[in-house]
Amino acid sequence: MTSADFLSEVGPMHGWAMATAAVVSAAAAMVGTLLVVRRMSLLGDAISHAVLPGIVVAVLAGGRPGGPLVIVGAVVAALVTVWLTQVLRDGVGVAEDAGAGVVFTTLFALGVVLVTAAASRIDLDPGCILYGILELVPFDTISVGRWNVPRAFLTGLAVLVLIGLGLLVTWRLQVFVAFDADAARAAGMPVAAATLSLLAATAMTAVAGFEAVGAILVVAMLVVPAAAAELLGRRLSRVMAMAVALGVVGSVLGYLAAWKWNTNAAGMIAVVLGVEYAMAVIFAPEEGLLARGIGQIWLRWRVACEDQLAAVWRREEAAGTGLAAAAAPHGFIDRLARAWLAMAGRLRRVDGEWTLDPRARPAAEMIVRSHRLWEAWLGRHAELPVDHLHPPAEWMEHHLGADVRRQIEADLGWQASDPHGSEIPPER
Amino acid sequence: MTSAVGYLSCLAAIDLSGLLAYNTLIVAAGTAAVGCAAGVVGSLSVLRKRALVGDAAAHVTLVGVATAFALTGRRDLPTLLAGGFAAALAGLLVLVVMRRYTRTRDDAATAIVLSVGFGGGIALVAGMTARGIPGSAGLENFLLGHTAALTARDAGVLAGVSLATVVVVMLFLKEATLVAFDRSFAAAAGWPVAVVDYLLVVLVAVMVVVGLPAAGAVLVTALVVIPPVAARQWTDRLGTMLVLAGVIGLVSAVTGVAISAVVPRLATGPVIVLVAAAIFAISVLFTRWRSPREAA
Amino acid sequence: MSLAPPLVEFHDVTVAYGRRPVLWNVDLTISEPCLFGVVGPNGAGKSTLLKAALGLVPLAGGMVRLFGQPLERVRRRVGYVPQRETVDWDFPVSVMDVVLMGTYSRVGWLRRPAAAERAVARESLARVGLEDLADRQIGRLSGGQQQRVFLARALAQQADVYFLDEPMAGVDARSQEQILAVLSGLRDAGKLVIVVHHDLRAVTDWFDAVALIDMRLVAAGPTRETLTPDNLRRTYAGAIDVLDEVGRAVQRRSRTP
Ligand SMILES: Nc1ncnc2c1ncn2[C@@H]1O[C@H](COP(=O)(O)OP(=O)(O)O)[C@@H](O)[C@H]1O
Ligand SMILES: [Mg+2]
Repeated sequence: MTSADFLSEVGPMHGWAMATAAVVSAAAAMVGTLLVVRRMSLLGDAISHAVLPGIVVAVLAGGRPGGPLVIVGAVVAALVTVWLTQVLRDGVGVAEDAGAGVVFTTLFALGVVLVTAAASRIDLDPGCILYGILELVPFDTISVGRWNVPRAFLTGLAVLVLIGLGLLVTWRLQVFVAFDADAARAAGMPVAAATLSLLAATAMTAVAGFEAVGAILVVAMLVVPAAAAELLGRRLSRVMAMAVALGVVGSVLGYLAAWKWNTNAAGMIAVVLGVEYAMAVIFAPEEGLLARGIGQIWLRWRVACEDQLAAVWRREEAAGTGLAAAAAPHGFIDRLARAWLAMAGRLRRVDGEWTLDPRARPAAEMIVRSHRLWEAWLGRHAELPVDHLHPPAEWMEHHLGADVRRQIEADLGWQASDPHGSEIPPER
Repeated sequence: MTSAVGYLSCLAAIDLSGLLAYNTLIVAAGTAAVGCAAGVVGSLSVLRKRALVGDAAAHVTLVGVATAFALTGRRDLPTLLAGGFAAALAGLLVLVVMRRYTRTRDDAATAIVLSVGFGGGIALVAGMTARGIPGSAGLENFLLGHTAALTARDAGVLAGVSLATVVVVMLFLKEATLVAFDRSFAAAAGWPVAVVDYLLVVLVAVMVVVGLPAAGAVLVTALVVIPPVAARQWTDRLGTMLVLAGVIGLVSAVTGVAISAVVPRLATGPVIVLVAAAIFAISVLFTRWRSPREAA
Repeated sequence: MSLAPPLVEFHDVTVAYGRRPVLWNVDLTISEPCLFGVVGPNGAGKSTLLKAALGLVPLAGGMVRLFGQPLERVRRRVGYVPQRETVDWDFPVSVMDVVLMGTYSRVGWLRRPAAAERAVARESLARVGLEDLADRQIGRLSGGQQQRVFLARALAQQADVYFLDEPMAGVDARSQEQILAVLSGLRDAGKLVIVVHHDLRAVTDWFDAVALIDMRLVAAGPTRETLTPDNLRRTYAGAIDVLDEVGRAVQRRSRTP
């Protein structure tokens, strides 16, 4: 299918539905990032369930779905949830997760019963509460100037803009609080206000997401992109930007997948967001499973190469003093490493003995230097018998860099030899 | 008598005679056993600070129920619940893997498994419904609970599994208490704490699955959370707490089934939850009123 | 010099959390029953040292022997009082229930503690002076009483080596005296008692030997010879910057700057 065919087939209806999912998702990702880094994901879960009775009561009181009254109702319900959870924790001694479990299931159940009881007066069916009706969003429109714009899109956009502006204004406060709430409190910052506004933002997102994707799948939009982005970076601004990107991309792809396979869009969006998270787990540049696996293999290889070089350096040193040096390790990887070093011209075979190429000498010498410095440092600072110093040094010699070596040397008072009496080569 | 019942049902535009039907009674009995066992198992998981692990497992069951239906084409309860249980275990396994290999914290991990699993389930069910696969629409009953469709045999299966779960809890009560109270001490004394933990989580998964028909994937977690928390208000003894949680779970389940049998179109799950919540509220108010706890 | 193997041996033990070593190359042997203190600043790795001995954390290097054997064979001869924070005080158990937990290893799977175990538990409670509170919920005790309950639970383990992690943290003076008296009694009965403690005065007055820890073993030996100003300075204002830096490099699988 060409892209033109594709676009005409997707059509403006689908475009509006995707745009709605995208704005809701972007708002949710911003809020969700703060929830996730502040370890409040649970609250996001609780609030997205608990807004239901607030919405229903507001609708019964004459509010339009997605209108201001409904948003107020949802925010009130969210605050009630948080307040009740805190009362249960501090006043009744119920652990936080159990308390949240009690409160949000109860409020959600209340909402479902209200919806059922008032079925004749409001048109919300239980299914829509759970998984939304993204596909029908484009049919409920308001005219804005010359265009008929879906109401849900406008609600989503309004919430997105409001949250975006709020974040812009309070950004430094939010970063500080997310990073260390206690320190922020000690510094006299309005931590409670930051938290309350975060809760209100969560409630507004829940309302915006409610019609599009339903209560439970709002949780996916809140938490999943944020958790994935958290694996990809450390800076809050970057994490949030990435969460928004993941959320928007996931919403669009999820919608398209649902359209292709003829199934529920909200469900597919959650699935695609889940796939994004799984990809982040595997492919994250620093902490991904793949990066860690490669890092592990690379470390093993570096250790093998460095061990070979150091062993040859020691043998050459021993040849000068007439003492015997320990043999180089000769496991499979070690022999492979030696073969590679020989091929790369770092080691050369001279008269049946391995010798260091001048290019490889500095590196080899620094390994031995690291080793002997570490032995000397441990000997001085730890209560260890002299014959126990070698194994730890055999490990740490691969982790010491020049700065720390100098620091150790200074700490040792520039002593010239290790605890076994071998000379410590100088820094190059 | 008949006229009185008729009068009442006219009054409320509801059908009270449904309440007394043989099948409703059997189903109520089966659901009672489920509520009771859920209270008992839930007590341990709440004490182990794992209250919401069941919630993640519950939402994921939907994928399993739908997959079991899609693969076998059968919609008898044991098949569907077996699928739900397999999915719940898979979801819990994902949680374990996430804890072990990622930086994602437990609260976020729970929310991820819960929402993605639920989304997958919804997508599967909706996909099958859209393709007009016969019987797939009934799967929606697993969302919010709907006991009217249960047969006496189904109820028997649910009761049997519940009973077996309670027996297992009783057998391992000593070990589970020890691990829940002081994990480091238990491990130092040589108890396989991880095994006991997994056992407990699997029991919770079992309860969540047998609770599905009554309370539904979205709300079944309330069955393993609210009764224990309510029971805890009345006592400082573990044994008493287990018994009370069982009773509260039983009462909530039976009341929920009865009310939803009487009121048309009302799902069972929400009613069960509201009854349990009411009992919890009464427990808190009554015990505070009787002996106000010293200010913390 | 006896031929029996040392009671506790750490051979070059290194412990890492998430690849990052927090306890480096500890080599320590305790041969005689005594009251043995483990002293060091916060975050020095004292709890980690005990956990390593009890097999609660995996070792990144080295090994631990108790009575000359691997831990698994001698679990029954080991008693433990964990650090206080690890416990949920709202848990619905009575003081007696908690002390009975000390007998569970002997009771084994599936069985309930019998009269004999209850007698042991009661006697242990009496030794810490709490027999009157047996039926209280554990959260309704003072901090000192709670620590004594945990001590009683360890006593009910009827072990030969005891590991206690800050048993006197947040404890009133009377409870501290009482706990120290019970611990000395254990020592006099031929048990080895290893205690993480931060009150240097109490250590000097009561303990036979100490180990000074700050990410590595700084010094170990008889109390009077080990608690020298020089050793204390090395423990509390130590050279751990280097260990920190190198530990991070190990975690990253790379080199320090
Ligand atoms: N489970 C853990 N995961 C990661 N780091 C830990 C863990 N437990 C302890 N640490 C770290 O290990 C170091 C030693 O901790 P610990 O043994 O508890 O110290 P101490 O008991 O001497 O105060 C501290 O820096 C602490 O932050
Ligand atoms: Mg400690």
